Amino acid sequence: MHIMEGFLPLEWCLVWWIIALPFLAWGVVRLNRILAADREALPLLGITGAFIFILSSLKLPSVTGSCSHPTGTGLSAICFGPAITSVVCLVVLLFQSLFLAHGGLSVLGANIVSMGIVGPLAGYLVYRALRDTRVNLYFTVFFACAVADLFTYMTTSLELALAYPAEVGGVATSFGVFFVIFAITQVPLAIIEGIVLALVFKYIIQLKPEIISRLRIFPDEAVRAARGEA
Amino acid sequence: MRYRLEILTLVAVFGFIALFLFTTVAAPGAEFAGSDSVGSSQIAALTGRDMASFTPLVPQWEPPSAEIEAALFALQAACGGLVAGYIFGRWKGESDRNRPG
Repeated sequence: MHIMEGFLPLEWCLVWWIIALPFLAWGVVRLNRILAADREALPLLGITGAFIFILSSLKLPSVTGSCSHPTGTGLSAICFGPAITSVVCLVVLLFQSLFLAHGGLSVLGANIVSMGIVGPLAGYLVYRALRDTRVNLYFTVFFACAVADLFTYMTTSLELALAYPAEVGGVATSFGVFFVIFAITQVPLAIIEGIVLALVFKYIIQLKPEIISRLRIFPDEAVRAARGEA
Repeated sequence: MRYRLEILTLVAVFGFIALFLFTTVAAPGAEFAGSDSVGSSQIAALTGRDMASFTPLVPQWEPPSAEIEAALFALQAACGGLVAGYIFGRWKGESDRNRPG
């Protein structure tokens, strides 16, 4: 999903930075607030951040004959919301910009908006919609994580389409072209990512159910049912 | 079933591998380039510009070889793995200590 350095006009780089910065500032405030209220949230933040590090480093082949990588942001979005997730993504994307030449500093704002804001926000909305329903807890995690992944790549497609509208058909045509490159490639990876992160969440619930309850990520009854205690 | 999610994950991973193998057979010429590179090539095609004309707005260090790039990606994954392993290990230890009996 990385837009490469130099591949986005300066005005669009500025637009995406202007959108990303308030979100990042809000994320830092929320992060300080959560950690001040409960230091036990720190290991959970470490786990969710660690999986963003791991999954976003895995380049996997896909059905379209190209490679792509999962994002891993859905779990963080579920546990801490999209604002804090954007801060974690800033760290990951900065590492990749500085040491891997994947992305870049001028396009960092655009990459944060896709991977750190819109994707996690979409996943968070799915999680919020399903959280208090009878839908299985692990299916909720799976679905939210898969949606977060897919929306990241759809946003990248939109960012590029806005910057490079096609001569015939404009932004819509261009979006279609980038959508095939990014989003279609991503479908199988998003499904795998959703399943893997649901499994990670199962281990979190088995080992540290109290943190899930204390941060009110899922209702107590749902956590007990997931642990087979209900 | 206690390990339903684990089994489902294994099935999904094997399904994914099967899909990849099917693609390599169905499309023997596929290069499996990164979608980032394919997207960048598409920008060049849309604008009618040469790839080399897209120069970084901010100077950027690039890994000197593909091997070093792969090593740095592995380092990134290893950092995440270390943190996740440490925390899960600590939680498992706490959980075992707190188990009655």
